[in-house]
Amino acid sequence: MMADDRFDTAKKPVALDVTNLNNFTYDMSRCIKCKGCYWVEHTYMPGIKFSTRCPSNTWNDFDSYGAFGKMRIGTAVAEGKLKWTPKLLEIVYADPLCGACDVGCKRNLDLEIELSLEALRVKAVKDGAGPMPAHKKVDQNIAKTHNQFGSPHENRKKWLTGDIQVAPKADVLYFVGCSASYLNPEIAQATAKILNACGTPFMLMPDEWCCGNTLFSVGMIDEAWALARRNIDAVKATGAKTVITSCAEGYRMWKVDYPKMLNMATQDLGFKVMHLLEFADAMVQKGALKLIKPVKARLTYHDSCSISRLSDPWTPWKGERGWMGTVSPRIKRRRGTEGLYAQPRNILKTIPGVEFVEMPRTRENAFCCGAGRGTKEAFPQLASFSAKHRLEEVREVGAEVLVSACPWCKNNFAQAAKETGKHLKVMDISELILASVRG
Amino acid sequence: MAIVKEAYKALEAIVGPDYVSDDPAICEGYRSGPGGYEAGCGYEKVMTKIPGAVILPRTTEDVQKIVKVCNRYKVPYVPYSTGFYGPRSHCHVDNELLVDLKRLNDFEIDEKHFYAVVGSGVIYSPLQEEAMKRGAYVIIGGGGAQASVIANLIGDGWSPLSHRIGLPHRRILGTEIVLPDGELLRLGSLAVGDDPFWGDGIGPDLRGLLRGYTGLRGCLGIVTKMAVKLLPFQPERLVPTGISPNTALALPEKRLKWINYQMPSKEAQIKAMFEIGKAEIAGAVTKVPLFWRAIAKAECKEEFWELWGKENEDTIKNFHIVRVLLIGFTSEEQMQYDENVLNDIMKELGAIARPTKPSDESWIKNADSAGMWLMCGSYMSVDYVIETLSQATVHGESYAELKKKYTPPLMPDYGDPGWFQSFELGHQGYSEFLIYWDQDEDTTGVDHFYVDTAKMNIKNRYYTSLLGPHQPLYLTGPKYGPNYHEWLLKVKEEFDPLWMCHPPVPLAHDVFVEQSDWMKPIKDWKSPKITPKP
Repeated sequence: MMADDRFDTAKKPVALDVTNLNNFTYDMSRCIKCKGCYWVEHTYMPGIKFSTRCPSNTWNDFDSYGAFGKMRIGTAVAEGKLKWTPKLLEIVYADPLCGACDVGCKRNLDLEIELSLEALRVKAVKDGAGPMPAHKKVDQNIAKTHNQFGSPHENRKKWLTGDIQVAPKADVLYFVGCSASYLNPEIAQATAKILNACGTPFMLMPDEWCCGNTLFSVGMIDEAWALARRNIDAVKATGAKTVITSCAEGYRMWKVDYPKMLNMATQDLGFKVMHLLEFADAMVQKGALKLIKPVKARLTYHDSCSISRLSDPWTPWKGERGWMGTVSPRIKRRRGTEGLYAQPRNILKTIPGVEFVEMPRTRENAFCCGAGRGTKEAFPQLASFSAKHRLEEVREVGAEVLVSACPWCKNNFAQAAKETGKHLKVMDISELILASVRG
Repeated sequence: MAIVKEAYKALEAIVGPDYVSDDPAICEGYRSGPGGYEAGCGYEKVMTKIPGAVILPRTTEDVQKIVKVCNRYKVPYVPYSTGFYGPRSHCHVDNELLVDLKRLNDFEIDEKHFYAVVGSGVIYSPLQEEAMKRGAYVIIGGGGAQASVIANLIGDGWSPLSHRIGLPHRRILGTEIVLPDGELLRLGSLAVGDDPFWGDGIGPDLRGLLRGYTGLRGCLGIVTKMAVKLLPFQPERLVPTGISPNTALALPEKRLKWINYQMPSKEAQIKAMFEIGKAEIAGAVTKVPLFWRAIAKAECKEEFWELWGKENEDTIKNFHIVRVLLIGFTSEEQMQYDENVLNDIMKELGAIARPTKPSDESWIKNADSAGMWLMCGSYMSVDYVIETLSQATVHGESYAELKKKYTPPLMPDYGDPGWFQSFELGHQGYSEFLIYWDQDEDTTGVDHFYVDTAKMNIKNRYYTSLLGPHQPLYLTGPKYGPNYHEWLLKVKEEFDPLWMCHPPVPLAHDVFVEQSDWMKPIKDWKSPKITPKP
């Protein structure tokens, strides 16, 4: 190449560090308004119906609620040109950070949309504007009772029944999470019984605390960091080699956001993080888990965001950006390709009697239930809208049962289904697996 | 910035409080830049403003009422469908109302007569999917699958599929336009009834006024509804495969097939396109810039530059690919016949067929315009002409020659002449010249190059699509026509005497040059003192 055909652009230091919004000014400033963040990927576009994948911008039509609007807003915030107001906080927080925008953008470009949105929330908290009052309540609950609902800490293991064998020490540790511990004991029980059925000894954390998903997601980085450090140390103290979760949000926290906050790679955690889906699929493949009892139902599967497009492992990165925006060293971008897309489908197709149908929007194009990452707490109307919108899709394919792999999804869908008054059974995949193991 | 209270209240009464806002955070989301088509250039920096308010109408009637309120209270407004077309589709003056048309998303399809009726908020990929479900198809324009069908059809509307389908204005059927004063104009068969099935209507055909050659960037009213002609396709389903970013449509090989041919020379390349057209075969015939192939291969921006760094002026000069899409419109046998004819043509010309994947990554359903921003972060097409096949290649080469002077800031591309393809079965050749740069660098050269291309076209007596509002009207107007600028301004005055609709278009580029000191060295044409209106 000729040396005179380019500028000698000064290199600037940059890092994938959400504690500083300025790390993402390049990403935010290169948004081109193609709205790949909003529309279902065009190759998979199912038609006029169900054409979007952004819950926030489907809920509120103004551009500011889409990632393309938020990138402009984030740029203005970073430059100090936009003041925090209730409307601005609503725009920033009425968003389940479901990652649809991130994978949509990264189909073509190398822009870190999800990290920009996370950094914007961290900035909101640092500026004293965020999070929303409901999030502060969650923080208080966790500080007081170590769970986000404020339920008595001593009730955390109340889900355990006499027929579940928990080992005092094992290679596998089941991290139950707040939802399954307090709101969805059926998920915790099913997960534990599946582990038992596989003959895989497992232990629980001696004193399990909240994973900190909501705190991290709303930008309370210091509080979330403390929980991450505490939980990782606690797992290491047990000697566990594998942490299994049955909650998608918890899975993402352990696998992605703990390493992100602690500036380490997922592979350097010192233990493996698995969702029940991965474990069960592997056991079915090995023949250790036999799904033999028929479950007669026409069912469909909802890809929970945190075990799909948000779950690529984390690798810390810092370096320089130079000519034409190129970075060095090169970044292996997290494009949502390593999500658990095949595993649930393998499992569901193995269960006798199941008539499995796909919804129009699946995998990385799935429409989020709207509950996660602080949305249900602060903007229940958005969570309800999002779930009801997804339920229209369930009805479109004539499914009787909606299966997901996250208690947040299950609860939000179940509530929405109840509110719409239409008959639909909502199940966690752990319940379905257990039904096929036991009949 | 905000619009007057009385006007705001009147607007709120039309759409309700949930669909109009002057909140600074809402308006900030409608900023043109800093990224996007043409963003980071002087035009974007000087000419665009954050809206004073944003409104989201639901119906044509809403739009009429909004426009009338704007005229009554002297509130300038701009129609906005997806915002993808960069600064030229955003607010240009202070206290302007942005009319976001995304809620005009009604969609109907007439399967028997093969047309679809769309609102301004309907984009291409859903339309294409609905069409394909019914054995029909449309062109997804180069603007991309995310472009508003209406906005694209009144501005651009072509792709490699134009080899078979033809020019966009032929597909515009019955159309509804809210004129700049709020009056409703119905074109085609809509002028005499409620069925939009036909494009011609009584009186003069105003579709020319609607789009001219490449559109008027929303300065002559708001198109709210359009019937679009669908064309017969083959019947088999194209199955989406893969996980993003590696997604594609799997092609039924006996009905659809892309084949790439390496041609021995540029002459053979043009001859091949001509002969394919003459034989009336193929659904698309195109030659894309070499760097697009690097974009497709690269997993990230850095890998693009690694791949692109291996090219040089010789490899570009000797890159004579012809990419052909065969479609078995009526049968497998028909496609086999087309392939046999194609092989005969290519054999005679000494072409070598290259292995080609049995899939479609771009053009049938997903037109990947967003990938244009991967390598540099900033992009625009500085011209796109429809010429003869032989003249169209000269067009791209002349642009490449001029571009050397402006590299940097423009991307080093070793003289690549851009995109070139056959239209209307070889009766026309299409050439598009694309430029890329980094908006954080000194972009004066980008602004100069843009205007310099107009001067080059005038000097060489080349046709150019970027007339009207795309270039300084007083630079191009006296040289083409020779007074088309006067006619264009008369039309504007007639329909929009108050200049409420997207001011100061079509004089916006003139205003930009006047207001930008760094453009002074390049301004050597005469223009009256321009007073931006209103």
